[in-house]
Amino acid sequence: MFSSSRISILARRVIYQMLADPRTLVLIVVVPIILLTVAGILIRVEPKDIQVGVVNQDEGMSAVNLGNQLVAVLKGVDAFKTVEMTPEEAARNLDDGDVDAVITLDSDLTAQVIQTQTFMLKVTYEGSNPTISKRLESLFERASAQALTGLIATTPQGGGTNQLETTIQADYLYGGPEYDTLDYTAPALIAVFVFLFVFILTSISFLRERQNGTLERLQATPIRPQEIILGYMFGFLVFALIQGAITLLYTVFVLDIHYTGNLLNVFVVEIILAITSVNLGIFFSTFARNEFQVLQFIPLVVVSQVFLGGVLWEVEEMPVWLQPIAQLMPLTHANEALREIMIKGMSLTSELGSIAALLAIAAVVVMLSARTAGRVQI
Amino acid sequence: MTEAVLVENVHKHFGEVKALQGFSLYVQKGEIYGLLGPNGAGKSTLIRAIVGLITPDMGRVVVLGKTMPDKDILSKVGYMTQASALYAELTVWQNVAFFAGLLGCRNKTAIEEAIALVDLSDRAHSRVATLSGGMRQRVSLASVLAHHPELVLLDEPTVGVDPQLRVQFWEHFRKLTAQGITLIVSSHVMDEAERCDRLGFLRRGSLIAEGSAESLRQQAGKDNLEDAFLYFAEKSDVQQ
Repeated sequence: MFSSSRISILARRVIYQMLADPRTLVLIVVVPIILLTVAGILIRVEPKDIQVGVVNQDEGMSAVNLGNQLVAVLKGVDAFKTVEMTPEEAARNLDDGDVDAVITLDSDLTAQVIQTQTFMLKVTYEGSNPTISKRLESLFERASAQALTGLIATTPQGGGTNQLETTIQADYLYGGPEYDTLDYTAPALIAVFVFLFVFILTSISFLRERQNGTLERLQATPIRPQEIILGYMFGFLVFALIQGAITLLYTVFVLDIHYTGNLLNVFVVEIILAITSVNLGIFFSTFARNEFQVLQFIPLVVVSQVFLGGVLWEVEEMPVWLQPIAQLMPLTHANEALREIMIKGMSLTSELGSIAALLAIAAVVVMLSARTAGRVQI
Repeated sequence: MTEAVLVENVHKHFGEVKALQGFSLYVQKGEIYGLLGPNGAGKSTLIRAIVGLITPDMGRVVVLGKTMPDKDILSKVGYMTQASALYAELTVWQNVAFFAGLLGCRNKTAIEEAIALVDLSDRAHSRVATLSGGMRQRVSLASVLAHHPELVLLDEPTVGVDPQLRVQFWEHFRKLTAQGITLIVSSHVMDEAERCDRLGFLRRGSLIAEGSAESLRQQAGKDNLEDAFLYFAEKSDVQQ
């Protein structure tokens, strides 16, 4: 028979144990609130302003100028901002990622359309975020149709036909029409996995080192705290790199994501990220008395970085006050670098900014862990 | 230099707790020195101060001629902690080789010998997790002896060890001193203390009496060490 008194005795013991651990209590309440707040803010964030550049060179034909009409229609679209520019400006803005697409209207556009009865829209997409390119394409189709309706109404020549066919001739600076959201997310996910597993493994092994008293024995040998940290780093790097290699090959060849960069560059970024993660693990293990408490650091350290590190939401789209926090996170910079390398095929030297930031964070974390690695007490 | 360990007027406080109060100790090379006292008397703190894990608030510790803390001299020291500190997922051999390696010994024969010394050659490739408590204690001992230390510190090495094995342990200890090795052994078991060359009685972070088991009994005028300890404890209370 069930004894309610035995059950309640046990339930009470569980409650007492929890009450004896105020940190756990705070974490189980505070962490979800923080994460929900951040998620709430991010999910409601309006997509950043999409910028479209137009190079309008259309000279028109007998008082009709299709180029001007199209520009007028495009400027009336709320979903993006249209800016007219010269071909040189367009090329530069596209390279810098300041515009997401450039529409080029040739000088004989109106003449061509009237002559051939077809309208070809030349678009160059920046292409590194496939979602934006896809969205723009349908918007451009609608805008063209609208501009052509105006044309049909105003030109006697065009009056003969009710329909003009529109084709979009699309060009991509990076990526291509076959790129999808996974191509954009995969580099970041690879970084997340490396970071997550190395963090869990190091923090738990280091905690055990303290709990079992082996850390005390290590300290009664000539080994220095810095050597302990380096030993941990190299040991776990082996597994981080094996994991990185397998997930990378799997995403490229099995999940078939598009990939242009140099594999070795990806590994350089992963090594720096794994070093950061090992040291964060050692540092946080100082604040954990048991495996429970280590697990509670995962939402704090890992999930917060998934939200803010540019995995799902772009850092530039975040509210201004959240961006500095995102910049402090190693995953933000690793994601940035990995995306540039894998989608745009950038070299390490062109990504010096994010790599330097990642190295700086790694250096700070190494210092923190070196200070705490020697602590024997749990 | 004939002293292995010299502790001079060492004070150590942990918050309100005075773990060591002006503690002085002198251990000669080649002797077995026993630290005897109840739990909380400061035995572990003293041993941890000798290996340099604790820096004294005051006073100094000299080990094999070096003022502690000194990381490099530790390769000549073996320190066996109270609970067997081992990696349960690794084998006996891997554990012994790991600690011996850090202490500067990469010699396979030395590792084999250390494992043979504690009579675990047939279990050398078993994981520590599969061993009994007594066996783990033996692995722990092997892992502090493989690198041929000059000074061995054993913090309650025979806790949880069956009487037969305890006898074996003491035979090993005697063999080690025959090679000129110094041993400092802490214990709260009085009959074990009989086997030490010299004994120090510890109480509340101070040394209340010192000498061979025989001389301590005589000074106290008691038949056994337990009564002798109580005699010196009362005497130190009166003095305070």
